[in-house]
Amino acid sequence: MNLLLGSLTIGLILSLLALGVYIAFRIFGMADITADGSLTLGGAVTAVLLLKGTDPVLATLAGCLSGAAAGMLTGILHTRFGIHSLLSGILMMTALYSINLWVMGRSNLPLLSVANLTDAGERLANLMIGPQKTMMLMGWEVTCRDIGILLATFAWVCLTAVLLFFFFKTELGTAMRATGDNPQMIRALGVNTGNMIVLGLALSNGLVALSGALLAQFQGFADVQMGIGMIVWGVASVIIGESLVRTRRLGLAITGAIMGAVLFRLLLAIALRFGLNPNNLKLITAIFVFFALVSPALLDSLRKRWGGTKYA
Amino acid sequence: MLEVIGAKKTFNPGTINETRALQGVHFKLEKSSFVIIIGTNGSGKSTLLNAVAGSFFLDDGQIRIDGKDITRWPEHRRAAYIGRVFQNPFSGTAPNMTIEENLVLAARRGLFRSLLPASRRSLVDALKERVRTLGMGLENRFDNEIGTLSGGQRQALTLLMATWLRPQLLLLDEHTAALDPKSADQVIHLTREVVAREQLTTLMVTHSMWQAAHLGDRLIMVHRGKIVRDYAGATKARLRPDDLLAQFDEVRRTDQLDPTAAEMLRSRYV
Repeated sequence: MNLLLGSLTIGLILSLLALGVYIAFRIFGMADITADGSLTLGGAVTAVLLLKGTDPVLATLAGCLSGAAAGMLTGILHTRFGIHSLLSGILMMTALYSINLWVMGRSNLPLLSVANLTDAGERLANLMIGPQKTMMLMGWEVTCRDIGILLATFAWVCLTAVLLFFFFKTELGTAMRATGDNPQMIRALGVNTGNMIVLGLALSNGLVALSGALLAQFQGFADVQMGIGMIVWGVASVIIGESLVRTRRLGLAITGAIMGAVLFRLLLAIALRFGLNPNNLKLITAIFVFFALVSPALLDSLRKRWGGTKYA
Repeated sequence: MLEVIGAKKTFNPGTINETRALQGVHFKLEKSSFVIIIGTNGSGKSTLLNAVAGSFFLDDGQIRIDGKDITRWPEHRRAAYIGRVFQNPFSGTAPNMTIEENLVLAARRGLFRSLLPASRRSLVDALKERVRTLGMGLENRFDNEIGTLSGGQRQALTLLMATWLRPQLLLLDEHTAALDPKSADQVIHLTREVVAREQLTTLMVTHSMWQAAHLGDRLIMVHRGKIVRDYAGATKARLRPDDLLAQFDEVRRTDQLDPTAAEMLRSRYV
């Protein structure tokens, strides 16, 4: 049960990563590898500030903003200097590796001894169910702290998703989506597409860094390696989400990305529980994403072979 | 209204693909005039339109709108003055966004985009009212993605979007070339209507001699990056498709004359 609660919480934390990747990957059609670096950056900045005694909320916010700045730089490399989007992300990710080491001072910062947002989760649980340490949940004994953290994360993710949804329905947000959909058209309607991409990547990496900041606090340490391969995680979550909701319409796609992130984390937890060698984790993830990416086209061609196309 | 002064543009200069697309184009558009541009393939007529829209910057020359020098303005800044419909029906709309979202995007052309909701009731109602006048039933499909519409429907909507906020200048780049004859007629009809109603200053490129003869109050023929014919007023009104074809032939003959003449001169004097 504790494993399940932990996986759900991490899944929800990583759903913020999934939302960030959704913005870059689905709205702008860019695989923005900056995510690998900005997730760590968010964790690193937050960890350092927490160790200095900064208020956890402020520290988390600072982590989030640092990621946004990194995304903004990637966007500037891409739009102002005309560097290919993939390469801009790679450049930024590489630079961030050193920056993260520089921010942290060493490769790993433990956070178990300092006050952080997980304590707020515990307080929430105490507020709701009283001051006991443990409780029964479906016949299992779980700590109130874990429940509180899970609920707080869930609430926060829901709030972020709703805010994001409404943002993409605003004048600015629709212009951003149109930039990804048809840049020629939206330029002719007076929008500076370069600025939209810079802003969008800032938003995307801000969410990714927020995810990193929360992850570092939840797992109790920030590590310079924690971001590696996270872009693939994000893409996997988005794709799983799309296959769950079977549409790319905004509201459902956002919900799907969150569901995808949680489901993906649960699947991995189960696989690990049943003896998957953790060393193979990234390989399995990559193979999984490969199949998720090619299966729609594969299914389509199969459908055509068996007659009865959708557009007949 | 619009002034193009000595516009020059060469693509891929210094390579074997060098194209001298505009070689000193010079013209002036009066307010509320409807000007047709025709020319052979590669003559530079679309390049001319794109130069005005700001798809690229000129190598030399100047472009002015209402006396303002916009030569170095980027595309999105010019959009505050210019409404555009493209040749490709896919270019003017965002396919994965709904009809409503596309229209409300156009309702902020050249204006500041805030964090207020894009779809406001009063605006959407007004847009629906206008879309109803297209007579395509699209007012009942505001939640459909534009990608599901036909080329003709998309062009009609793009035209509506380009003119919802009255543009100082409307640019139409062969906007019916990719449509079937029936849709093309419909879009031309809508074009005529909106240009007349709003008294729009319009620059329209076309391949259709019929459109060139029957629309507009002035006609410019472009050839090899230069304006070679310019008819206005009664002369333009008298032009028939056959006259235009004859003009094309004449321009081509002059073309063929040049190398032969050069050859003759060389053999005689070198």
